[in-house]
Amino acid sequence: MELSQVRYFIALCKTLNFTRAADSCNVTQPAFTRAIQKLEMEFGGALIFRERNLTQLTELGRAVRPHLEAMIEAAEAATALANAKMGRTTSSLKIGLGPGIGAVSIASAVREVTSKLPDVTIHFEEAGPAALIEAMLMDSLDCALLPETTELPERLNRWPLYTDRALAVLPPNHGLIQKNAVNAADVVAEPILMGENCGGFAKQLADATGFSLQLQRCNGAATQLLELVAAGLGMALMSERLRYAAPLTTRPFHEPELNRRIFLTSVAGRPLNLAAASFVKLCRVKDFS
Amino acid sequence: MNFDAARLILPLSSQEATVIETLQSKLDALRVSRCERLAWSESYEEMLSQLGQSGFLEQVIKPGEYFPDFMLPSAEGQLLSLAAFLAHGPVIISFFRGEWCPFCRLMLAALTEALPQISAAGATLLALTPETGGLALKMKTYHGAPFEILADVDCGIGLAAGVVFKIPPKYRALLGPNFPDRHGNSGWYLPIPASFILSQDGRIAWRFADVDFSHRPEPADIIRAVANMNGKL
Repeated sequence: MELSQVRYFIALCKTLNFTRAADSCNVTQPAFTRAIQKLEMEFGGALIFRERNLTQLTELGRAVRPHLEAMIEAAEAATALANAKMGRTTSSLKIGLGPGIGAVSIASAVREVTSKLPDVTIHFEEAGPAALIEAMLMDSLDCALLPETTELPERLNRWPLYTDRALAVLPPNHGLIQKNAVNAADVVAEPILMGENCGGFAKQLADATGFSLQLQRCNGAATQLLELVAAGLGMALMSERLRYAAPLTTRPFHEPELNRRIFLTSVAGRPLNLAAASFVKLCRVKDFS
Repeated sequence: MNFDAARLILPLSSQEATVIETLQSKLDALRVSRCERLAWSESYEEMLSQLGQSGFLEQVIKPGEYFPDFMLPSAEGQLLSLAAFLAHGPVIISFFRGEWCPFCRLMLAALTEALPQISAAGATLLALTPETGGLALKMKTYHGAPFEILADVDCGIGLAAGVVFKIPPKYRALLGPNFPDRHGNSGWYLPIPASFILSQDGRIAWRFADVDFSHRPEPADIIRAVANMNGKL
């Protein structure tokens, strides 16, 4: 198929009127109709019902529309990025980060976008999945990293990025520092600090083992919780993809494996600005393992 | 690999055995062995007839036309632009179907082998794949490919070049239900494995396009085409 045929089809989807769609594409109606017919031949079926007073997408037309739109956007973004004058594209890249999901994994993609579009402003927003989904739907966020446990509305595109594993984050001089790895039996009697930004690993551990853990609830930002770990209040189970500075020590957690899959999400069918489109592409291509 | 099995089935004449094997002869042997499976040969025929009947090749961009300008993510996660490569000389762009495709593997191996001569002729080779999720890097690592593999996410540049088609039903069944994960979309599109040589102004100087994915250009022909171009410049 040809880019122009697909453009004509999308114009027709929007106007549902051959004359207006052809006009909007600056092409004569016979040429427009021929292009649509060629596309239908390639798809092996009608994309549009043509009746005297009614032009409507067929089921096939409705089914192929979102992918064709995505393809055109990909083509336009790849070309627009190539033509972007350095420093002359002002836009923003607004990324949501779900509970306990750090920016470490996506930092190189952000750097790559800003190296090509230096005037881009970066916004990160840390919040619960429901708030991030709401923000994406309201168009105040371009995309968000969310854990698989989140129920996603149909309107969101989702791409699996990586599997996030838990680490045992230990206070200074903690007994478990002596071990190379930590397991469930090791922590059953240990106070574990748990908050909404810990990624749910402590709950996963309790569910998987049936142990009654010594959980200490602590809501707020992850940084504050880690201050308490550093002060010796207890340990924490958190993502291996966050950075932990001294005096904290981390150990891998095994038996059971505590992990969750992280998805990149964005609203389907809504064109992203150049920076956001490039960021999403880089993340989709990247090997996060 | 299946290819070796095919070689045992295909009798080689003594003459053939002594000449250097071409990429196409390897591709042909692979196709013959795959065609022994009815499901494979039927889906292959279906694809060829569908693309043949729709006049597909007329839509592929032609010599003299400008190749669409682009900046795409590389296997290693950099955004690379066509213009930056054109600044150094002619660029060869080859569309690949993906890491899973054994015909693409044969071609990638042949191109990897030919790369020193391509570079000596002053050209840069760029491989484009529609695959995501680290598969471009996997493909590059598997071949030790010393050239850039770029991810044409959602087949945008493939569409602009006129090489993308909707995969027909039988071939889709053959690829299996998890195939969409490779592209990160559920569109079921693939590029035909076309190759283009662009002169430094971004125009297409030479192209190889065939609806049959088991037909590929010989690296020797690509090198010759680049050398001819340089002669003309």
